[in-house]
Amino acid sequence: MQSLKDKHRAGKTNAFKVSLIFVSFIITAVLVLAIGALFMVPDIKDVWESLKSEEMIFSLKLSMWTGLLSTALVMVFALPIGYTLSRFQFIGKGFVKTIIDLPVAFPELVLGLCLLLLFGNTFVGNIFKSLGFQFVFTTQGIVAAQFFTALPYACRIMKSTFDYIDPRMEFVSRSLGYSMFETFMNVSLPLARNGILASTVIAFARCIGTFGTVLILAGGTYMKTEVLPITLYLNISYGNMGMALTSGIVLMVVSFAAIYIFERTEVSL
Amino acid sequence: MSFLSVSDLHIDLGEFYLNGVSFNLDKGDYLTIIGPTGAGKTILLESLIGFWTPDQGNIYLENRDITMELPEKRNIGIVYQDYALLSHFTVYKNIEYGLKKKNPKGMKEKIHDIASALYIEHLLHRKPATLSGGEQQRVALARALVVEPKMLLMDEPFSALDPQTRRDTRALLKKAVAQRNTTVMHVTHDLCDAWTLANKVAVIRDGHLMQIGSIEEVFKRPQTPFVAGFVGATLMEGTVIDRDKGLSVINVNGFIVKTLDPADIGTKVKLAVRPEDIIVGTQPSPNTSAQNNIEAILAHIMYEGKTSLLSLSAGKTSFDVLVTNHSLERLGLATGDTVYAMIKSSNVRIVNSRVN
Repeated sequence: MQSLKDKHRAGKTNAFKVSLIFVSFIITAVLVLAIGALFMVPDIKDVWESLKSEEMIFSLKLSMWTGLLSTALVMVFALPIGYTLSRFQFIGKGFVKTIIDLPVAFPELVLGLCLLLLFGNTFVGNIFKSLGFQFVFTTQGIVAAQFFTALPYACRIMKSTFDYIDPRMEFVSRSLGYSMFETFMNVSLPLARNGILASTVIAFARCIGTFGTVLILAGGTYMKTEVLPITLYLNISYGNMGMALTSGIVLMVVSFAAIYIFERTEVSL
Repeated sequence: MSFLSVSDLHIDLGEFYLNGVSFNLDKGDYLTIIGPTGAGKTILLESLIGFWTPDQGNIYLENRDITMELPEKRNIGIVYQDYALLSHFTVYKNIEYGLKKKNPKGMKEKIHDIASALYIEHLLHRKPATLSGGEQQRVALARALVVEPKMLLMDEPFSALDPQTRRDTRALLKKAVAQRNTTVMHVTHDLCDAWTLANKVAVIRDGHLMQIGSIEEVFKRPQTPFVAGFVGATLMEGTVIDRDKGLSVINVNGFIVKTLDPADIGTKVKLAVRPEDIIVGTQPSPNTSAQNNIEAILAHIMYEGKTSLLSLSAGKTSFDVLVTNHSLERLGLATGDTVYAMIKSSNVRIVNSRVN
């Protein structure tokens, strides 16, 4: 009796395990097909022609430099913010953490709308204007939009990276005569190397792929504030599939590279 | 004034806290701190080194108030259980790290000196992750000692090492700190660390310093049942009924114990006896008045490898005796037997004659 019972129980566990794996595979299969379609549907000549078009070259260039600039700015802020949230206790920490994280759950369009209202004809907008920053419907606006969209992701990765670094490493460094700042530079930053890499690639992928926020704040103007997602959107509205698919492929390649590097760093999001 | 003086230290980190800790250490003292998990031992070390600011109280090092001083200004070293070596540096760079900041002159010689003293010279070019636990701990020790800190704090430095490595590392540590006359505070769970390394012991419980003193005082004259239990001694209470030829005669719940320690007739006293100071026999020893012979029932035998711990009960009092398994076998003892516990009167110590 006992052995029969055991067999039955083991069978049940197996069915549970197998069905969970099955569910995971189904979704993976659908995604693989969807991604595959992006590469299978267009013919290569069409993609090649689109890549060489003036609009695509403009869009690629604009995406690259805004993306790189935004990523650099994001990291300049994500490092100190991530470290602060990981190490320090202060009044209002919960509030700071919630607000910085908010854009993760925020629709990009709403974020764009908020930024448009802030940088429009308001007190804050005027201050920035007097400093030479004009964010509404400009390429500077693209950078601002990408920055705010990608920042929370980078901050989260940096916080969890610093969480994993034993504060006692820093204690030892300070006991050996190094100040907090020197310890941060000598110990915390080098040990956070993988996290910084992960954070940078994810930030870059988010920047390159930001659509809603850019559309609302910088506008989706042809050959002016046209980054890759905007190219995709504009061309699909004109029914120009070649151009749309090409920008889709470029964006997909960037994302794949980012996720590949991210996975290799073994950092948690 | 003392080399280190801690007065009325209070700190509350929620889970861990210290409550009115005060003590003094002299230059060259080696203090082991023992106590249950979560008693506040680590916080005490980390308050001394400056990672936490106390809510109340002061720390004086060489007559200077360092309570509010930054950790990097205190010149106190720390060694952790998990070594906390910088994984992106080689062993050499780890040891060099502190020297580079504090005293870059003659760095190479100093590093090689300490490395050869701790037998890690052949490892200098390696990364910490490729070393064994004992090797990593020796590197951590070298890193802390090479800058010649005023004090060295160690938080369970040997608990991740196997017994053999632990013994070897202990010997190296003992030599290294003795040569430099380093003042050490060493948190441990292993009483062997206290016996072999320290000249002072402190017992901490729930953020309170229960007792601090020389090894002799704490291990042989524990003040409270808690400390006695923690250091493995037995505490009994009795009344002094006579003084006889330099011995105090004490009635402990019906049996008589004699001690060399002086006490006034009629006072209530606490007596401490260590389990290794008692001999068990099946016959009372014919020997002199300097020997106590206590008739007791063998209540329980606990095998502990090479030795056994016997629980004896005499009336309402019970106490532990440490015997080798060899003598246990020779005596042919079994639970329930009547035995005689023989204790020299010099090994019975009056802990505190102010029992209320």
